[in-house]
Amino acid sequence: MTNEIQQVVPHHDDPADPSRRRLLAGLLTAYTASLIPWALAQPAPHADRGAFTALSAILVGRQALDATQTARLYDALVADDAHFPADVQSLLTLINQRQIDPLQLQNVLDTEHSPLAPLPRKIVGAWYLGVVGSGEAARCIDYETALNAVAVADVLKPPTYAYGTYGRWANKPI
Amino acid sequence: MSEQLSADIVVIGSGIVGSLAARRLALQGASVLILEAGPRLNRGRVVAAFRNSPIKGNWMGAYPPSPWAPHPIYVPKDNGYLKQAGPYPYPAEYIRAVGGTTWHWAAMAWRLVPNDVRIKTLYGVGVDWPMTYEELDPWYQEAEELIGVAGAPDTGSPRSQPFPMEPVAEPWSMRRFCERLAPAYAVVANTVARNSRSYGGRPACVGNNSCQPICPVNAQYIGENAVAAAEAAGVRLIENAVVYRIEHDAQGRIAAVHYFDPDKGTHRVTGKTFILAANGIESPKLLLLSASDKYPNGLANGSDMVGRHLMDHPSSSITFYADEELWLGRGPQSPSSINTLRDGAFRSQHAPYRLDFTNISQVLSVTQDLIKEGVYGAEFDKQLRWRAAHQVSLKNVLEVLPDPDNRITLSSEKDAMGIPKPEAHYSIGDYTRRGADVSKADFTRIAELMGGTGLRYSADGQFANNQHITGTMSMGNDPKTSVVDGFGRTHDHENLFICSTGVMPTAATMNSTLTAIALALRTAEHILPKPADVHAAALNAEREASLS
Repeated sequence: MTNEIQQVVPHHDDPADPSRRRLLAGLLTAYTASLIPWALAQPAPHADRGAFTALSAILVGRQALDATQTARLYDALVADDAHFPADVQSLLTLINQRQIDPLQLQNVLDTEHSPLAPLPRKIVGAWYLGVVGSGEAARCIDYETALNAVAVADVLKPPTYAYGTYGRWANKPI
Repeated sequence: MSEQLSADIVVIGSGIVGSLAARRLALQGASVLILEAGPRLNRGRVVAAFRNSPIKGNWMGAYPPSPWAPHPIYVPKDNGYLKQAGPYPYPAEYIRAVGGTTWHWAAMAWRLVPNDVRIKTLYGVGVDWPMTYEELDPWYQEAEELIGVAGAPDTGSPRSQPFPMEPVAEPWSMRRFCERLAPAYAVVANTVARNSRSYGGRPACVGNNSCQPICPVNAQYIGENAVAAAEAAGVRLIENAVVYRIEHDAQGRIAAVHYFDPDKGTHRVTGKTFILAANGIESPKLLLLSASDKYPNGLANGSDMVGRHLMDHPSSSITFYADEELWLGRGPQSPSSINTLRDGAFRSQHAPYRLDFTNISQVLSVTQDLIKEGVYGAEFDKQLRWRAAHQVSLKNVLEVLPDPDNRITLSSEKDAMGIPKPEAHYSIGDYTRRGADVSKADFTRIAELMGGTGLRYSADGQFANNQHITGTMSMGNDPKTSVVDGFGRTHDHENLFICSTGVMPTAATMNSTLTAIALALRTAEHILPKPADVHAAALNAEREASLS
């Protein structure tokens, strides 16, 4: 795992389908591209999913996101809220234009009473908890691959998975 | 009407307590029939249900109630089954299914400490038990060998025979607590029904860290194991049999019980002896439901004590960041405690308590905190790892004194089968609250010794519940103030016995299951004594089998 944001746009190229590459790259500015340089080369089936991929990557601070997981979370979030794609586009545009640091984002949205204020938590919750929706409408989309499991996978197993042979937990963790 | 059902002994409820009593009686040659309101569960499906649950912080998420045998659910919303009369909420959780609530227990199998049974005499509070600790010792031993208990010698509960198993290997986090809190506090391994080696045909723990909601590998003894043992001994079990009335004859002996099947067809089951083992809430509910002209206040209730003296263990807690990486979540969920505050002269003034360290993975809770705080970007992973490594939590397990106003009654609301729901009347008394206040100093001291930062105490006057339902059918020598005698026989009905945590006249400071099993085995012996040599031979055979 890397927490450092690469400042150099890598020499990605996808001669097989350059139009797809342009699609996602076209959603970013120099500022957001600096947060997620890998995204410039990512294929996306359409602009809405591309915007979700880009915004997700910014919010969860990742330089790579699994395409299947992205699709499943996106579909679940859209199923809950038909405005979700438009909201994602709006928030990505806002971050693009105003160069908002992800750490300051919630504060900015809350301070400005933005209607987009609930959106980051929805997306980050989907990725880190693997849960989409709330209350009785909540459903689990991912567990073992939810990012909170992935983030600690070198030390912990997701509960219900065996840690190891009997007593392995007696050792110092790292 | 379907087949005529009858048995020497009819047991209502298939939890760990009732099933182990049933097993013992069947081994003695009795025909035994267990009626269980809920369905059979499958361990693999429960594991899958947990993994697929969107509410993993709630252990009941993997145990949805069946329409014909509802149990309380509070998350994502209260299903309104256990009605709350106040003044303090009593959100008890239990499972109506074959095997009962220990599907998702922490497997803590503590004994009482000897003075727990004499608090009226010694400290002038609560009531004394109708037996001594020494009388309980052999029953504890039999229970511990049956379910496979691992424990350390220094818990404050004397024993005449060794534990069946060595303590479960200590997680690194608990080792560090043990080292850093000494000598101010002695941290000891919990006494648990969890295998530290192969025992009873079940494997050693492999640290799945999901004891609650479910042990996926069967290293932890649960009610399902007790049911299997009972069935292997010849007990017949009928699931989805919702008992709604206990019928007596003109002499006040119990003649039969009546149950609904899920389609609300009615069935009558006759027997010679009846054991009510449907937990501390459903059992008194059933006694109250069974009122008749002869017993207008319900069965076994000549004293008006049925449902009263409801107790549990409220907990307050502290959460903080230790100054070193401990990474809770490696190994079993509940490994260690501080036992030294469970007894002392202070019990005349305030509640005693056990201090309980959690080893539940903090990953879920710190993720939720970070989302709440709006932390995004690369900082999320960084914070998540730091907090998951450093965050620890400690709670007290406080004694509640028996208070007749804390009680289970019948609600005016009915469930889908038309059976009145139980209603809880509950408050937490000053004795318990004073104990919580005193324990706060321990929380602070322990946090200091661990270099703690970010200390977060649970709100004053707010308590979490521990689902150790006790007292509602208390045992005692005086029929005016208790429901059953020292052997679990109801004072009012010669052939009706109760096996349940509900017969415990005080709650003490330990998880109640092992004591209830020990009392149930003692009740079974009272109903149908084992010849002394048979008893000894059976115990030896079990010991030998457990070594295999």
